[in-house]
Formats: sequence, structure tokens, C-alpha cells
Amino acid sequence: MVQSKKQKNLFLAFCLVPTFILFAIFTLYPLFSGLYYSFFDWSGSSSNSEFIGLDNYRRLISDAIIPQTIWHDYFLVITKVFGIMILAIFFAVALTQLKIKEAPFYRVVFFFPNIMSVVVIGILWTFIYNPSLGLVNSGLEFIGLESWTRPWLGDQDWALPSLVLPSVWAGIGLFMLLLIGGISNVSKSYYEAAEIDGANQWQQFWKITLPLVWPQIKISILYIVITTLNGSFIIVQIMTGGGPNNSTHVMGSYLYQQAFVQYNFGYGATIGVMILILSLLTVLILQFFMKREKVQY
Amino acid sequence: MKKDWRSTGLILGGVVLSAGFLAACSSDEEGNADGENSSGGEGMSGELEIQYFVGGYGDSWWKEVIGDFQEEYPDLTIVEHAGPNINEEMRSRWVSDDPPDVVYIDGAGSSETQMIEDGQLANMTELVEGMELEDGSPMLDNFIVDPDQHDGEIYSLPLVFDTWGTWYDKAWFESEGFEVPTDFDSFMDSMGNIQEEAGIDPFVTSGQHPYYFLRGVLYPAFAAAGGEELLASLIKGEEGAWTSDTTLEVMKKVEQMVEAGYFDSGLGALNHTQSQMNFLLHDNAFVPVGFWLPNEMANDTPEDFEFGFIPSPMQDAGENFAIVPDLRPLAIAENAENKEAAEAFVEFVFSREYAESFSEHTGAIMNVAGVDLSENENVPQYLKDANEMINDTEQVTIYQKPHPMSADLETPVGNELLSLMLGDSSAEEFVEAAEAAASQYRQ
Repeated sequence: MVQSKKQKNLFLAFCLVPTFILFAIFTLYPLFSGLYYSFFDWSGSSSNSEFIGLDNYRRLISDAIIPQTIWHDYFLVITKVFGIMILAIFFAVALTQLKIKEAPFYRVVFFFPNIMSVVVIGILWTFIYNPSLGLVNSGLEFIGLESWTRPWLGDQDWALPSLVLPSVWAGIGLFMLLLIGGISNVSKSYYEAAEIDGANQWQQFWKITLPLVWPQIKISILYIVITTLNGSFIIVQIMTGGGPNNSTHVMGSYLYQQAFVQYNFGYGATIGVMILILSLLTVLILQFFMKREKVQY
Repeated sequence: MKKDWRSTGLILGGVVLSAGFLAACSSDEEGNADGENSSGGEGMSGELEIQYFVGGYGDSWWKEVIGDFQEEYPDLTIVEHAGPNINEEMRSRWVSDDPPDVVYIDGAGSSETQMIEDGQLANMTELVEGMELEDGSPMLDNFIVDPDQHDGEIYSLPLVFDTWGTWYDKAWFESEGFEVPTDFDSFMDSMGNIQEEAGIDPFVTSGQHPYYFLRGVLYPAFAAAGGEELLASLIKGEEGAWTSDTTLEVMKKVEQMVEAGYFDSGLGALNHTQSQMNFLLHDNAFVPVGFWLPNEMANDTPEDFEFGFIPSPMQDAGENFAIVPDLRPLAIAENAENKEAAEAFVEFVFSREYAESFSEHTGAIMNVAGVDLSENENVPQYLKDANEMINDTEQVTIYQKPHPMSADLETPVGNELLSLMLGDSSAEEFVEAAEAAASQYRQ
């Protein structure tokens, strides 16, 4: 039976219109209202607001804290991408290739942080880093490295690097599962053939596993970048509040501070626009660099 | 203008209700509140929405007052919006011009200054001029600290009289023979002694919220050194105020504390509860907080711990301690739907009876003069001691600030202050950075 054009259009509309309406309400509307408020001087706590044109954008350019927040965000992006990907690939390969008997148990253990709320993770690690009672300093003291102890989250130089560890720890599980899925799909015959040809484990990893799971790695990297740029706010807000002296503020936490602590909602919206533009640019650039022919053997 | 608290007649005024009666003041007996100072809004009906922040003072006092008010006006439906995050939760109501009727402004996410600037609070001038206490005396004569005026009009009534100061463990100090400081020199000596004998960093504050040190230690220090004039010019961010010689002198004292290693080395990481916990565990000996400290930490306080309070001892030898009161106001929304009931509630709350019960419930003071706490067994000892000390004009001078510092100035100043406390910058660098923040704020 041949579908009439009208029927086809009706079916398409049936599929697309509800989705588009939801997309418009929950994505487009907030996006454009954020853009709209960035042109206003608005405290965010009353109905009074004043149109000020591009003043918020001028302020954004001259704000000395903004470049710091951008750097902090990209510091977290870079360290998280490397930290999470290296460990996730390592664990995924170990759990699939090394034929460990307890593999299912380790899968659960590594995935566990992913089912915990980021807020809980932040609070947990705040205790771990506690200068006097925390596990890190106590551990260092126990092994005789007293001189290495420091108030990790309260030190202007160490606070930001200290945030990397919980972020990586919390992120590994999901990407490990994603990669396990990819590796499981690689046909065993490739490895057998490679073994007959005399390739060692290391060569098998570089020549077979890595090229064949590249699509999963690419998606993982993009996902880490996007979630870090949009979501590192939570861990910063919980663990340091952006301090000491702005040394851990990321764009999102600075947005929150401006909009909800200093009552500059309009300026906060401007920072939001900046985050959107930077995230888009970053993803476009990454797509370009990670373009790689799909490998098939 | 300096205000002599004693002259307001706080001491030995009013009627002291027996401790036993108040201790037994359960909800069943709340009908005893006679509401004699109510505005006589008989038959008042409709809905009255009350928003109040629940922090260190808890909410038991609010429950009592609202319960009594409900009994007084049974036809009124009272809706309470309360909790530690209530300011955030109610924000959308305020933004959409559908606010609650009465609001107690306190805690994170609330700003009286911002609300007045945004025109969200009703003019209460006429209301307060007509208000009277139980004995018929005008309310305006009976505030410990008078309401703030904006262009001559009153938009909020200061309900809670709080003040920041420096806390120590009285029992521990007595048993160890540590000295309770009386001025900056003796403060330094005492901290040096404690550092040596107890082997701890003697002073702690929250590095995540540097305004604890700003409001708790620096405000009194600025007031003691330069009076209300200096304090006001710093809070307003006036040109040259932060780089003035007097300000630098005060900051040099902080620098001395840093150089001597008296600040807790981990304070940068601590939020306010963690810093207070360290204090309770004797990891530190002094912490600057407001009157709410004992109530806030009640569940974590060791049994033998005895709270002692002094105004932060930053003044030079031979000078009075300085106190800068911190007031938490009650206000009516400009767009309140039930203004009549809101006004009746505000009148109902401001009484000596509830002022006394406030001290019992919270361990802090309500901003009503003529309330005698000295004989009340339900009022904690530290509050009586502090009360007595604050009222001793030979020892303590009270300074008022014009209004709270705007978050737009307090945030960058606090950040720079933390750098100074961590030893990452000098007093000179701090005042320059604070002046730059003030200049940015003025724009």
C-alpha cells in the first residue's frame, strides 16, 4: 500500500511537533530569555529591571575574574579528559581482556560513584580533604610525609588541582562501561589473528582495540567536555564556593555568585551567554580535531 | 551617633515572668498570651503568609508567637513559609510580585537593602509611630537600636538585636589559666601563650565565608579606631576610606596576627560550621561569631564546654571594647494581600513578653529595651554575662553602621581579606585591593 503524501506528512508531524514543542519550552525559551535578560540591569529578586543595552557585555570584558574562571574551567576540562579517559580505558581493557574472575564486582565498584549525587560526592571529598581530620592529611602523616600535608581546599595554589581528583573519581564508571561495551563488540578473531602474527598485548591494544573503539572514545571526550563546562559548577560550589579568593571559581559558579549572591542577575545571564558560546566553540573545535576515518578490518 | 544601651533602659525594666511559667509554656497554654498590644483587628480573616528564615536561632520562638497570634485571631488562616533555604524558595514569589505578607529578613539569599531598592517593602513609618508596648509607652522610644531610615521613611523594624564578638571556652580558660583579652595587646599575648602551651593555632574563622571575620572582628576594630564615621565610609565604599591611615593601622594588626601564626593554617578550607566545630574541639581557642553560636552548635557542644563572649578585642590599650550591632528586621511586603493582618502581626510581635521569650528560645536578644534577663533562669549564662558587659559603658561602646555592606562590595573585600589571612598578601596590598573593589562598586 502506497502512503499518500498527506498521510506521510501527518505521521511526520505526529512525531515531530510534540518533540519540538517540548524542545521549545525547555530549551529554546530559557536560552532566549537568558539572552534577553543579559541586556538588563536586574537584581533577579524583584520585577524591576532596566534595559542597559550592551553594558553587561562591556563589564564582562573588563571583569578581571572572568579570564581566571575560563582558565579554571579549561584546566578542569583538560585534566578530567586525560584523567578519566586514561583510567576508564585502562579499567575497561583490564576488565575485558585480562579475564579477571572478579570482573563483575569491579564493574559495580567502579560504577558506584556514578549513582551517587554529585552533591554527596562533594561533601564526602570535603571531609577527605579536611585539614585536621581528613583522610588525605592523616594518610600523609601516617606514612611520614608531614611536610606534604596542607589545607588542600584552603590553599590558593592547591584548591583547584584538589577538585580534579573527586571529579575524575566520579566520572570513570560511566565511560568505563561505555568502553567495555565497545571492546566487547570487537571480534575475538582479530586478537587471535594478531596473536598468531606475534603481536603482544600492548600492540594489540594500540593496533586493534583503540582504533575500533575510537567512536566511543570520541563521544566520551565530547561528553566530558560538555558536562565539565556546564556542570563543574556543582563540585566547586559544594567544595570551595569558588574560593579561596576566587582561585577555584569556574564560569558557572561565578555566574551563580553574581546572579544569586550579589544580586546581578542580568550580569549572571551575560556570563551564561558566554558559557554557551564557549561550549559551542569548544565542541566544534574538538569535532574538527577528532575527525578520523572509521576503521574497519 | 553612639548609642548607650544602658540608657535605653534594657536593664531591670519590664515584668519578669516566672521561669517556671515560661518553661511550661506549651502550645496548650499559649492562650495565656493576652495580645493586649494588638491593634484590635477583631474578626480579621483571610490568609496571612509569613516568611521567616530558620538558622542558628531555630524556629521554636516563631512557632510560639504565631501560635499565640492564631489563637488571638482564629478566623485568620496563617501560612508559614520557613526553613534554612526559604529565601531562595520564595524568590520566584517576590519576582512575580506575589510576595508573602510579612517577611523576617535574615540568612543567605536575603538583602534588606536590595529589597528596599527594589521597592518590595511597605512604608512602615505610620504604623510604627502608632505602635505601643504593653505598658503603653511608644514603640519608637523602646527600640534598643532604632529602625534604619531611607529618605526619612522606615521600611523595616529591627527585630533581632545580634552582635558579633569573639567566643572562648570559659571553663577551659579558667582551668588552663589562659588570659581573657581586654585589648589588642593582651589579645596577642593571650594567643601567644595559648599557642605555646596548648600547641594549637589559637584563632579560627571561616575561610569560605570571610565576612565572618569582616563583620565579627574588623567592623568593631574599625569602629574602635575611627568611630562610626570611618565604619560608615568603609561600608559605603567611599573614596579613600579603605586606603586611609586608620584602616591600614587596623589591617596591620591583622597582619601581625598572621605573621605570628595565630590564624588556623587550614582556615581557608573551612566553612562556618567546620570552623565552629574546630573551636568546640579545642583545636582553636577563639572564634568570631554572633550570639547564635551556642544555639547553632548545641548538639555538638561538649558537656564541660562553657561559652564565654567578649566584644572582639581589637582596640588599643586603655580604650573601650567596640560593639557593632547586627540587626535582623521584620517587614511587610509592599504588595501584601492582607496588609491589615500583617500590621497586626508586626504589632503583636513587638512586646517585652516576646522579647524575653526570644532570649529563652534563642540565646540572643530581641531589639526591645527594658527587658530584664538577669533573673530569668531560662536565659543562658553567657547571654547574661554578655548582656551585663555590653551594658557597662565603662568597658564597651556601641557603634552603629548605616546599613549592611552591599554584597557587591563585601564579596571582593572578603576575598582579599582571605588572602591576607592566609599570608598570601600584605596589609598594604589588602587596602589597595579593597580600595579598587570600592571604586568598582561605586561605578
